[in-house]
Amino acid sequence: MEFVLQTIANGLLAGALYGLVALGLGLLMGVMKFLNIAHGTFIILGGYLSFWLFNLWGIDPFLSIPLVMIAMFLIGLVFYRLALSPLLKLPDVGMRIDTSMLITFGLIWVLDNAMTMLWTPNVRTILTSYTGETFRFFGARFSFTGLCGVGIAVLVGLALYSVLSRTYFGKHLRAATQDAEAASLCGVNVQRVYLISTGIAIALAGVAGAVIVSSYSISASGGIGWLLIAFVVMVLAGEGNINAIIPAGLVYGLLEAGSVLIFGVPYRQAIALLVFVLVLMFKPQGLFAKRE
Amino acid sequence: MLPDWKRLLVIGLLVLAFMAAPMVIEIGTGSLNLLIMVFIFVILSQSWNIIGGYTGQINLGLAAFFGCGVLVTHFVWKAEMPIYLAVIAGGLSAVVLAGIIGLPTLRLKGAYFAIGTFALAEVCRIVVGNIFERMIEMPGSYAASYSLIPRYYLGLTVAFAAIAVTYFITRSKLGLGMVAVRDSEQAAQVTGVNSFKYKVYALLISAFLAGLGGGVYAFMRLSFHYVTAVFSPIWTFEPLMAAVIGGSGTLIGPVIGSIFLVVLSEIFALTLGEAHLIIFGLLFILVVMYFPYGLVGSVSRIRQIISRVGRGLCETGENCRKGF
Repeated sequence: MEFVLQTIANGLLAGALYGLVALGLGLLMGVMKFLNIAHGTFIILGGYLSFWLFNLWGIDPFLSIPLVMIAMFLIGLVFYRLALSPLLKLPDVGMRIDTSMLITFGLIWVLDNAMTMLWTPNVRTILTSYTGETFRFFGARFSFTGLCGVGIAVLVGLALYSVLSRTYFGKHLRAATQDAEAASLCGVNVQRVYLISTGIAIALAGVAGAVIVSSYSISASGGIGWLLIAFVVMVLAGEGNINAIIPAGLVYGLLEAGSVLIFGVPYRQAIALLVFVLVLMFKPQGLFAKRE
Repeated sequence: MLPDWKRLLVIGLLVLAFMAAPMVIEIGTGSLNLLIMVFIFVILSQSWNIIGGYTGQINLGLAAFFGCGVLVTHFVWKAEMPIYLAVIAGGLSAVVLAGIIGLPTLRLKGAYFAIGTFALAEVCRIVVGNIFERMIEMPGSYAASYSLIPRYYLGLTVAFAAIAVTYFITRSKLGLGMVAVRDSEQAAQVTGVNSFKYKVYALLISAFLAGLGGGVYAFMRLSFHYVTAVFSPIWTFEPLMAAVIGGSGTLIGPVIGSIFLVVLSEIFALTLGEAHLIIFGLLFILVVMYFPYGLVGSVSRIRQIISRVGRGLCETGENCRKGF
């Protein structure tokens, strides 16, 4: 019984993190129709920034998140200017998705190897004074860093939701998504809106990286694994359905926990991925389809 | 096909030259290894080209077919079957796997096909990693009689077979159907093309070639320290890069891309160390952005750009991204 509770608890902690991981990808793909395959690599980059801030200046990984966000935001601006903005000229959305996929695929190569060269292929993690601490609830242990991750995931999810639905910026972004030409006729600066949103998406990847490095570990080539998780969560939430991403992450975390209970640890990810492909086939609009 | 007789002659002469090369001159072990790797990359990138370049379905699960080919060839060969049968068994097993993976995922559109195949390839990697012990190897007697020359000929044969298969596909109704699906699936369906059928055929042929490529690799390398390494996404990504850099959707593009990728990475690896991969990444991005037909199409593309200075880069209309 204790094992069952513990597995479910782990699933919840991991699930919130999975949601956080998918937020940036969901913003770029769901709202702007750029498929950023290098998302996992940006997460790792954010993780490294947090790691070095901790190791060189002793800044706590959770306090360094704003710094990481600012740095990743700037990287996102450069990324948009150099790689994504030329794609807006493509005639249709399908081409934009395919081409952005290939371009960011090349970017994985560049960033992965640059990080390997700069910071060696070693596995890195942050060990703070409170890393091993746990709390007990209902017979299950929750790690302190994991709970912090859940808190940050919920906070960031809410913040993104309110930016998208409660501000003029969010309104402009949604307008630009629906019809870029009409939006720009109404005075929305589409390029600027997209520029800032890409910055936000990459900053979100940075947050996820900072949380990952505090409770898991990162290595220069580990981006692909996180990318796959982000994909899965994004599809489970339904394309363009940003608000459902954190819940979808929790569902995926519980799915993994369930397959640990039934099939054992080695098949954890395999079963969850199979379920994902089934969802993709039979309910491609996602588990949390929009009400409208 | 008379207008093509010159091209056929050139290809025939090339085959003969490659056939005769090891007999006439002494090729060093290093160069021989390099050539075999080029052959494997030609096979894999041509395989990706059939589904990705001609049919327009970006397949990120190539590694699963390759790995399946490697494993089946390895074990069939170990069971003292002749290597030719073992390689063909590897190819056929990849076709079976493609049936299992492809029938569900081919119903997905665009980027979702890419994500679905990627996820299923990862499932294969995890399952294989759990089933097999970490290291598999051939008995010592195979290692004692190891020689690179038969590997060279096998690789050469399969690579030219892959090019020939692609050539005949592009000349057939099948190839026309595939290109129609790529250019506009909707339009193709409206005019009575069964797009799903063509996508399935393309995936099965592509998987067969990838499995054969795996077979050549299994023949070349007797032991695998990590079984999962042959299922690693690298085996999807590098052939994809070779095909796109060379020019996807063209017959000769993947060949040039493979030669370019393998040979240059060998040269760069010696001089630049790990930085060469960064250069390839940048090159890949530039090719995708500015040369949708790859290196093969770059000559005419550069001419086009010069004549269109002042206009937007991608205002060439439908020609712009037809490479995909």
